[in-house]
Parts: sequence; C-alpha cells; structure tokens
Amino acid sequence: MATLSIRNIQKSYGALRVLHGIDVDLDDGGFLVLLGPSGCGKSTLLNIIAGLDEPSDGDIAIGRRSVTALPPKDRNIAMVFQSYALYPTMSVARNIGFGLEMRGVPEQERQAEVQKAAEMLQITHLLDRLPANLSGGQRQRVAMGRAIVRSPDLFLFDEPLSNLDAKLRVEMRTEIKRLHERLGTTIVYVTHDQIEAMTLATKVAVMKGGYVQQLADPRTIYERPANMFVAGFIGSPSMNFISGRLVPNGANSQFKSHGVELIVPGVVSQEGGQDCVLGVRPEELKTVATRDAEITGIIDVVEPTGPDTMVTAVIGDQVVVARAEARFNARRGDTIGFRVDPQSINLFDQQTEARIETGY
Amino acid sequence: MTMFKTSRCRRLVADILTYAVLVTMTIFCLGPIVWMFLTSLKTEADIVTSQMQYIPRSITFENYRAVWTQSNFPVLIGNSFVVTAITVAICVVTGTLAAYAFSRLSFRGRDRLMLSYLLVRMFPAVMVIIPLFVMMRTVGLVDSRFGLALAYTSFLLPLFVWMLKGFFDAAPKELESAARIDGSTLLGAMGRIILPLARNGLVASSVFIAIAAWNEFIFALMLTTGQGSRTWPVGLQLMVGEFQLPWGVLAAGGILSILPVVILFAIVQRTMVQGLTAGAVKG
Repeated sequence: MATLSIRNIQKSYGALRVLHGIDVDLDDGGFLVLLGPSGCGKSTLLNIIAGLDEPSDGDIAIGRRSVTALPPKDRNIAMVFQSYALYPTMSVARNIGFGLEMRGVPEQERQAEVQKAAEMLQITHLLDRLPANLSGGQRQRVAMGRAIVRSPDLFLFDEPLSNLDAKLRVEMRTEIKRLHERLGTTIVYVTHDQIEAMTLATKVAVMKGGYVQQLADPRTIYERPANMFVAGFIGSPSMNFISGRLVPNGANSQFKSHGVELIVPGVVSQEGGQDCVLGVRPEELKTVATRDAEITGIIDVVEPTGPDTMVTAVIGDQVVVARAEARFNARRGDTIGFRVDPQSINLFDQQTEARIETGY
Repeated sequence: MTMFKTSRCRRLVADILTYAVLVTMTIFCLGPIVWMFLTSLKTEADIVTSQMQYIPRSITFENYRAVWTQSNFPVLIGNSFVVTAITVAICVVTGTLAAYAFSRLSFRGRDRLMLSYLLVRMFPAVMVIIPLFVMMRTVGLVDSRFGLALAYTSFLLPLFVWMLKGFFDAAPKELESAARIDGSTLLGAMGRIILPLARNGLVASSVFIAIAAWNEFIFALMLTTGQGSRTWPVGLQLMVGEFQLPWGVLAAGGILSILPVVILFAIVQRTMVQGLTAGAVKG
C-alpha cells in the first residue's frame, strides 16, 4: 500500500502532445478513476504510471519512492488489462502465480498464495484450465487474481469491465469495490464509463484533450462540475443546458431566457448583465403547476422507464429532459412547469464554459 | 420440384468439375514423382527402350545400391544435412530476435530496414553470386560448409524474419506488458510468453527455410569446389556425364533426396498449416 503522486507529467509523440502537465495526488488506499472520452490521454497516463510508456517530462512517485526511471517490474505494481492479457499457453494457476514465479518465490509458498487468491475470487475449480476454456467473467477473475496475488503497492486497471456484458459488468463492479474495501490497496482505474467512476472512486480525474478538467471526489464532480464538459460528461441523461442572460436583481441575480425566469442567489452579475448557460440535472427539475413555475415548456416525449419517467420538454428553442415520478401522467403537447432548487443550480460562462460560483 | 432438381443437378456438375480440377492438379504434381520412383526401380534395359515401358518388368534395387556405393552419396548427403542445420540454426537464433524487434520495438528507420531486408530478395541469385564468391574467397570461406550456410542465410534470413514478424504481430502486445509488470524483462517475456504462442509460426518458418536450403543448387554449385563441402543436389547434377546419362541412378538419387523433405513435412504438416493459417481464421 502506498500513496501515488503524479507531478507535471507530459507526453508528446513527435509534434503531437497527448498529456499537458498532469498533476494528481492520491492518498494511501485511495481509488482514483481516470475518466474521459477515448483519446483523452487516460490510458497513456496509466501506461506511464505502469512504466510501459515513458513520460516526456515529469515525475511519478509511489509511496515516497520516485519510480520514473524504473522498469515496470521494479515498481511493485499490478495491472489488469482490458483484454485481460492472460498467458494463453499457461494454466490458470500458473497465470496467477507467474508474478511470484518471476520473483523467485518457492513453489510451495507460491501454490499457497495462488490458492488463497483463487479462494477470494471463487475460481479454485478453474485452476487447471487454460485461459481459452474460460468465459469472459472467469477470465476477468483470473486477471484480478494475477494482480492481487503479489500484494503490490498499487493496482492499475485499464477499462477492465468493457469487454463484459451489461449484467456481468455490474456484478464485477461490485466485486472490485468489495476487493478494494477488503484489501485497502491504492488503485488507479481507467474507464470511459461515468457510472463506474461514480460508484468506485474516492477521487475522479475527468480528462479531455490531455488536460485534467477536474479532480475531485465523485459527489463534487457530480454536483459542482468545474466546466460544461465535466457537467455534460457525468450523469445519464446528461445535464440540461439552457442558454440565457444573467441580470442583476437586488442583492442576487436573475437568470432569464425564453420561458425561464429564476432567481440565482448569491451571484452578482456584471453591470448590464452577461450571457451565460444554466445547468440543471434532470432529477432537479421538479414538475409543478404552471402558475408556480420558474421554467415553462411544452412536452415533446414521455418515456416511462419503470422507477421513473423521463420527460422531454421544449422550452423556447431549447430542449430539456426531466426525471419525473413513475406515475407522471401527461401527453405530448401539454404545457409543463418546473421549479429548481437554487442549491442545485449550475451556471457556466458562455465563452469559457467555466463554472460561475453561486452562493451555495 | 423442378427447382429442387435443377439445383441438385447444378451442384452435381459443380462437384464433378471440382474433382476434375483437383485430380488433374494431383496428377500434375505427383506424376513426375511417381515416374521417377518407377524409373528408379527399373533395370537399364527397361529405361532405354524404343517403346515406352511404364511399369517395370522386373523390380531392381540395383540403382539405389549404385547411388550408395558409387556416387559418394553418404558424404554429399551429410554435407547437405550440416549446411541445412547451420542455416536453420543461424536463422532461428538471429531471425527470431530480429523479427521480435521489428514487431515490438519502435526505433528510427525500422520500416526502411525491413524494406531493405526484402531488397536482397529482389535480385536474381545469379547476380549476387559473383560478388558473394569474391567476398567468400577473401575471407576464406569458399568450399566450406559454414560459408555455404552463410550464403544461404543471406537470402533466407529476410524471408524468415518477414514470416515470423507476421506471427509475432498476431500476438497481443498486452501480453508482454503483463509479463513485464509481473517481473519479466522484454527478452524474458519474449521467451516465456510470446515464443510458445508463436511456436507454430516458428516451426512453419523453420521448415520453409530448411527445405529451401536443402534443395538449393546454384549457390552450392558455385561456392563449393571439392568433395568436402559439396551438397547432394550438386552431386546429383555432376552424375550427368558427357557421354552417358545414368537415368536409373539419377532417379534413385532424386527419390532419396526428397525423402527427408517428405518425412519432415509429414511430421510438421499439421503444425505448419495451423501456423500458416493462424492469422487468417482468428482475424
């Protein structure tokens, strides 16, 4: 177990810069998720942490030891790959024990360790098989067994669940969380799935274009996104954006758009107002009678999903999605009104797309 | 009903055509070998006749005995074995490392270097033979088995490297990444993980090289002058005298020289087909 500190990591391939000075710190036992769309540099960063790729500049330290110049085998890390990367010619037992074998652990001790890891992952009955004869979920477990058997300082996961079907993915996600709580090992986990990030992480780094857009705990990322990219990337359905104008209103401000008029407490807008974007999560749009509404629109689509009903409404020339209660009853063309809890309002600058801090 | 009949009919015609083509090709391939085999069993009187004698009237092993006793066969075939073995050994050791480097490492001029490997094979052998002979003479390797093996390596190694690189490319890169994290060096990962995986490819490529070296004629003819290093194909050719053509002995020698190739193929054919088609079916 160890802390991880990433200092000003940069990476260029020729003229192409893929990482622009990444700084991340992770506590001992923390679970860092690197989240972002493909091509954002998250896998490159993970490979640099693993030592499989060299940074153009910057430093990686695991514990208090700088590992930037060390080969992967001397970093005391373990990694689970997207393709699992099980050695096809070796049995499951040998696959799991390979790391110990390479480190010269005597046969008997090795077997005991493999047995222990296999029991933890419930794969003892598979130990004699070859990887080709395993299902996707079983391969995933073997790959995790190979990682935990060595009790490394740091676990690295590279999109480990993306090759599994939806049901198994949820199961394995829970398994990984359980494993983390049981072993308490520091973990860095790469994914493009925001649900995985929200459920697993103690800290999320949302990445785009080789920059960390926001580094915070999942709650903060969800509730107070640093910019419109983070706001739109996290959450499903994603956050509603309504363009409008912020004008002074006494000590507070008022956000105005076609069909929208709501008070934003604690923000003093510029003299004469400023263009900005209002961001509201679908579940924060509460349906109310139209005379009490801050936002009024026309219903376009109603989609019952079971636990709740997704309502798509047109407000002026903009579209919003609201998460209404399961028995919500209305039809296309009806007028609908919403209120928004001022605490859940996000405001973004129209030009820079950066967050404008509100009073909450 | 008629539809059914016509489609059945069509399939029958297609089948007949398929078999006709395949049988023709088989006869075309096997015909000379069968003919050579029959000739090797004939007496001289059956071979040189005014009327074609297809089936030998009496079977004799005299030709095989003659090859063994009169033509220095044991020495020649021994030389062939040694030269082939050295060629394959050099190719396997250096070629495997080269192919692995080409497949896995990125370094300056890698693609150009790969291309220059192919360049060697773009020239006809007769063109390089004179310069090669001069070089070999300078370093004193003319008329030596090692020298001949080196000459073979010069044009077989590129082939070997290109073939094997394909097999290495097919193995996922993440395997080495995993092995390196598990505590292996890059070379160790190659030996422990990738080579066992590319075993079929290695066998296929090696057999390819071995057969090419075994059958090679022009280089052997030019670079060997004495009995000490002469290989069997050259020895066989030298049996053709100015005034006589010992057909029976030549046929027996031909049969003997393809035997090792046939046996080698029989042993590795399954592995080799697996190796050659590995990329094709797994994608």
